[in-house]
Amino acid sequence: MRKIWLVASATYRERVRAGTFLVLTFGLPLLMVIAGAVPIFFAESDAPLPALGMVDESGHLTVPNQVTVDEDTVPIATYPDPVAAQLALDANQIGAYLVVPVDYFAGTPPTLYTAPDANARLERAFRRILRTAMTPDAPAWLLARLSNPATFSYVDSTTGTVVEGGVGRFSRILTPILLALFFGLLVFTSTSQLGSAIVREKDQRAMEIVITSLAPRQLVMGKVLGMALLSLTQVAVWLMGGLFALLLAFTGSFDLRQLSIPWPVVGWAVLLGIPTYFLYAVLAAGLGIIAGDSQQAQQLAGFLGFFGLAPFWLVGVIVGEPDGTLPLALTLFPLSSPMIALLRMAFTIVPRWQLMAALLLIVACLFLSIWFVTRIFRSAMLLYGQTLRPRAIWQALRTG
Amino acid sequence: MKELAEQATGNPAVEVQNLVKRYATVQAVNDLTFTINYGEIFGLLGPNGAGKTTTIRMILDIIKPTSGQISVLGGPMSEATKAQIGYLPEERGLYENMTLLDTLLFLGQLKGLSRRTARQRTEQYLHEVDLWEAHDRQIKALSRGMNQKAQFVAAILHEPALIIADEPFSGLDPVNTRVIKKLLYTMRDRGTAIVMSTHQMHQVEEMCQRILLIDRGRQVLYGPLQEIRQRFAGNAVEVELRGHVDQVPGVAHLNYANGSYRMVLEEGVQPETVLKTLVQCPDVTVERFAPVQTALDEIFVQVVGRSLSAEELPSAEIVVAGEERTP
Repeated sequence: MRKIWLVASATYRERVRAGTFLVLTFGLPLLMVIAGAVPIFFAESDAPLPALGMVDESGHLTVPNQVTVDEDTVPIATYPDPVAAQLALDANQIGAYLVVPVDYFAGTPPTLYTAPDANARLERAFRRILRTAMTPDAPAWLLARLSNPATFSYVDSTTGTVVEGGVGRFSRILTPILLALFFGLLVFTSTSQLGSAIVREKDQRAMEIVITSLAPRQLVMGKVLGMALLSLTQVAVWLMGGLFALLLAFTGSFDLRQLSIPWPVVGWAVLLGIPTYFLYAVLAAGLGIIAGDSQQAQQLAGFLGFFGLAPFWLVGVIVGEPDGTLPLALTLFPLSSPMIALLRMAFTIVPRWQLMAALLLIVACLFLSIWFVTRIFRSAMLLYGQTLRPRAIWQALRTG
Repeated sequence: MKELAEQATGNPAVEVQNLVKRYATVQAVNDLTFTINYGEIFGLLGPNGAGKTTTIRMILDIIKPTSGQISVLGGPMSEATKAQIGYLPEERGLYENMTLLDTLLFLGQLKGLSRRTARQRTEQYLHEVDLWEAHDRQIKALSRGMNQKAQFVAAILHEPALIIADEPFSGLDPVNTRVIKKLLYTMRDRGTAIVMSTHQMHQVEEMCQRILLIDRGRQVLYGPLQEIRQRFAGNAVEVELRGHVDQVPGVAHLNYANGSYRMVLEEGVQPETVLKTLVQCPDVTVERFAPVQTALDEIFVQVVGRSLSAEELPSAEIVVAGEERTP
């Protein structure tokens, strides 16, 4: 175990200094943070709200003289028709006006006339005006409640357990989808990295020195563990970047405290995800060993990583029939288990036996892969610049 | 070191018997039998593609033999044995993005050294090969010669009982060659068995006690270097003398060149007889008298340079007295 750890630690320290790793690890969250910050720059404005105009064609509104938005008191002017309101807008007497159509109460939306660079808080101000205009006699507490709609607490009538509603329900659906997407991306990026790391070991001719100190199995496991740690570092940076971007983007839109984490889903993601990640990593190492050069290793490992993202092509099938035969089969197929199981969890309750069976199959495949890769390792590791042919692979599997 | 000294009195460090490696259509190694002793530098020689590297890799358990037995440091290869071997392969390289210090610490620890000991030895040997100043540089920033020395340090850092060095001097200037040579002698004197595979015959002549020459996977020369050279010299002597001789009893041919005579003796005539005759000549003073020793280069070309058929090969094999193997 000490030697496996030494190889893992050396692999980590060598790769963590590589330029490609640094760009990939820190570039992506930086992009996310920028993306999260963009709406704030464009949406938020501290400029005071201008006077506003209202044209009530429905004839059922009692428009107030003023409205308070974020401690700003905004005067409101009423106009008999849109032409008069437009004249006032052109004369800079008001900053915007809203035309409420005749059949507004039948569902036709109102129209907001404003300059292209309008204050982002205008929409909120007009919503408040409409609420007040429709309920002129309502007390302040009623208006406050109306501006903060109810969230529902869902209870499963068959089990009596509480299921989140509103934002909570949203996070219950979104969490497994995000976890599946995240895992797919992780597999896609790290398999090609691992494949090329192994082939680089051959290219750098370090393998022949290292292999005289440990068994092929220890070298393969050390490399896989080192790359897994590297991926974990990447994940941690990405997660922190993603969370920061999320906070930037949604602060003020809704209360993030209402988000609840569905822990059983996270638990299954970890249980299925970790061995599947190692399965991908061992297979990628095997492809790196078979490959003749770095380019070929990346192609082969990239093809393997494609399995990590392929399940997302089937989202339509999973949404339409989450308990169908194809989603079930792909839940039991080790290379797609975590992604498919998580996607299904967003839309149905996946039976526990299916998850347990998937876990067993993944672990069995992992051990089989380790055996397979260490058998071919000895034959392929010294073939500098050469690809291991199928016949040689077969020979290696028979003789070790 | 005490352990090594004890080992040196006992069995050989490496014992290879009837070693064969066969690939699909190629016989890479064919029936090699030899031993390598503690406290000696053993030359493993042969032309390109002769099977030297394959033999080394089988000794190191990197590849498995088709048949034959290999005993390394008293038994079959194990984890404990691996920790006692230092290897400098022909196809060599290190992790380019790691620093020299990190690389050597890593390789030293893989050989079972504690981090502290690995650090002490790294510092000591890097100073010895004049590389300490580069200890925090990345491997990719080292020159070829520095890289070569770094890899040599990696092979001896754990002070192994067996060192296998494939072309240890390639890429080194004379000064650095001398530094590495000195370290190899120190290791040998401590009782370490050293296998040196090289094409630099003058290094073999200078450093090796015994050699094995293989060609196309077959053993063609094996034994103490001095005896092999004498055997190839034939029955000839080199003489420097004051005076002049035209004919000497017992000498079949006589040539004079560059201030010395080369005398090929008649069959059955001993050099001592000729020396006695020369000493008794009244007008002649013998200043130097020595059996002719053929340069290893010449032997190599003679043995490997001609195309030997399978039938011819056993008769070309020279097995020196004291060895069990016979043609």
